Amino acid sequence: MAEDDEIKEYRWETGYEKTWEEIQEDDAGLIASSIHDIIQKAKRKRQEAKKKGSRLGMMRHIYIILDCSDAMSMPDLKPTRFINAVRMLQLFVEEFFDQNPISQLGIILLKNKRAEKVADLAGNYKNHIKIFQNLTKASLTGEPSIQNGLDLALQTLKMIPAHASREVLMVLGSLTTCDPGDIEETIQSLKQENVRCSVISLSAETRIMRHLTLETSGIYSAILDETHFKDQLFQHIEPLQATNSQECSLIKMGFPHGVVQDASSKKDQSMMSLCMCHLESNSDKRNLSIIGYFCPQCQAKYCELPVECVVCGLTLVLAPHLARSYHHLFPILNFIEVPNQHQSTHCFACQKQFQESDKHLYKCPKCEKHYCNDCDMFIHDTLHTCIGCSSVPQRPQMNHYDNNRIFKNVIL
Amino acid sequence: MSTMAETTPDDPSLLVICVDSNPSQGILRRNPDALNSIINCVTAFGNAHLMHKPQNKLAVLSCHHNGSKFLYPSPEKSLEIRQMDGQYEFFTFVEKSIKFNLSELIKNAPKIVNNVESMLAGCLAMALCYIVRVKKAQPIGTNLISRILVVTGSEDSAHQYMTYMNVFFTAQKERVVLDICTLDNTLVLLQQGCDITGGHYLKVPQLDGLLQYLLWIFLPEPSIRSKLALPPAVKVDYRAACFCHRELIDIGFVCSVCLSIFCKFSPICTTCSTVFKVPVPIKPKKKKIKT
Ligand SMILES: [Zn+2]
Ligand SMILES: [Zn+2]
Ligand SMILES: [Zn+2]
Ligand SMILES: [Zn+2]
Ligand SMILES: [Zn+2]
Repeated sequence: MAEDDEIKEYRWETGYEKTWEEIQEDDAGLIASSIHDIIQKAKRKRQEAKKKGSRLGMMRHIYIILDCSDAMSMPDLKPTRFINAVRMLQLFVEEFFDQNPISQLGIILLKNKRAEKVADLAGNYKNHIKIFQNLTKASLTGEPSIQNGLDLALQTLKMIPAHASREVLMVLGSLTTCDPGDIEETIQSLKQENVRCSVISLSAETRIMRHLTLETSGIYSAILDETHFKDQLFQHIEPLQATNSQECSLIKMGFPHGVVQDASSKKDQSMMSLCMCHLESNSDKRNLSIIGYFCPQCQAKYCELPVECVVCGLTLVLAPHLARSYHHLFPILNFIEVPNQHQSTHCFACQKQFQESDKHLYKCPKCEKHYCNDCDMFIHDTLHTCIGCSSVPQRPQMNHYDNNRIFKNVIL
Repeated sequence: MSTMAETTPDDPSLLVICVDSNPSQGILRRNPDALNSIINCVTAFGNAHLMHKPQNKLAVLSCHHNGSKFLYPSPEKSLEIRQMDGQYEFFTFVEKSIKFNLSELIKNAPKIVNNVESMLAGCLAMALCYIVRVKKAQPIGTNLISRILVVTGSEDSAHQYMTYMNVFFTAQKERVVLDICTLDNTLVLLQQGCDITGGHYLKVPQLDGLLQYLLWIFLPEPSIRSKLALPPAVKVDYRAACFCHRELIDIGFVCSVCLSIFCKFSPICTTCSTVFKVPVPIKPKKKKIKT
């Protein structure tokens, strides 16, 4: 079934596989710029790989498994592998929820041959960030057990409904693992349960980890330096192509309206109450207030969305949370790299004057405007909107999204 | 909803004003001269912002019926930049630049036959790219506060829903505050943008007092606004509208593939044509409680 995908994945990876061969000194004898080039090239390649209208797994469930063994205390990433990874993961988590607003993420730590779940799958990233912040002081001891970590993740992921993705992302510093049994069995059961496992190695490539990622259609990467690490980690932010085994279903969701503190509101509306999200925290942190979102099914109150109602299990979101994901489904066209022949005096987006040093310009195939490299990246990574296409009316007036029809209905 | 970066009073502040100059706007159709007074107010307001702190920056964009363009600073160096001795000369330069570029824009724009809607969302996207570039060019350690003010008489546009949403989320991420000053219509969509980015939304009761409103409501930087007695934020309705009937719903069904929203279960998604698995094992019957 996924055989075809596997090969593609593998070939797609080859850009990195022998990355050390690609590293060359530039004219000034520096290798940094060539790493930069590799990353840029890969970014473009990934952008190009995005297909329009493809089915994506928008509801993701992912466990981050972080190595906390003594191999993580190595200072080859500054200040240490571990602290560097923890900082990077904080950024990752924030960005992940920005791009995958209705997904859930959990954290598992590996140390002393044990696996410890420090965060259950959840959709509110603030708690995860706090965990990572406190983690920087953690002691790094012993060897990790990759098998224990995977088994622990599998236990929960097995229970996830079939319309959501099941993923594991492992950040490893150690080259060894101390397992209680045959890891091959674990790999096979992960494969069976459609858990996609990706691994980022901070040291070097190991055969067994590559085998794991291949079997489960994940991505394997061994990093070159900090920038490359970030790039490798952040590629996991993009939602995945939905696998065939993933079911499609209609999911019941609640759209609570916010109740805003308002002097003119009636007395009965402005009752002070506790929100469900802070019920378990210390009493001084509890949020006793009028403001909040109420579950339309059971009236439980929350101060932040999205969340799964702890009382009745309904997923609660705001309409813009869903809108945040629409760009994945209707990605904008890739810009074409063209040599700078003074076609335009300045970048159509940021107004920067093109210099002789701008060797290439980037042209939108649809509106044919020219952009600088920075804007090309910003437009495709963050803004998801071509400036020319969205600001200049097209002849048959604006139809810049093929699926315009549906969005007309979204607002009132 | 947004978090404000810690700022100090010395931080430079970049204000980008997007002025809708599309002749199809209701207010301009009723009174073509209104554009002149709007531009005068915007220019005076921009200069007030520059006067506020010497390190402040300004950019003015015009959203016209055929596209958006920078009025200040000019992208092409068509305006001669003379040596300027005093601040006063600088302000006249800003004013001249805005008026010259706008008249060029109007002169060169094709005549419109039918009313065309303003591509405001794209104009905002352009402003964001500019802000990101200026931010990047700042010396390390400088915290550039940035915001966008929209002055428009246009209506909400459903066509641009996607672009608006992308712009709002990007602005939120880049910590750009979005302020809206609407001259004619109630703008539900842009109101959501204000809420998402922590900006202010104001519908000006009459055009005559525009400058006063701008100076009172929008001149103070977002970080100190909470200390001022500004009109209370408008309650924003974020409930979802189902794609099938456009009705506001509390509870709905969302397609797991394309996230379209429906008010009742249907076996096929009308947006992406996905066929859904029918929920076979009907969960233990619960009595529906009507509320
Ligand atoms: Zn509930
Ligand atoms: Zn640019
Ligand atoms: Zn374009
Ligand atoms: Zn409906
Ligand atoms: Zn669908």
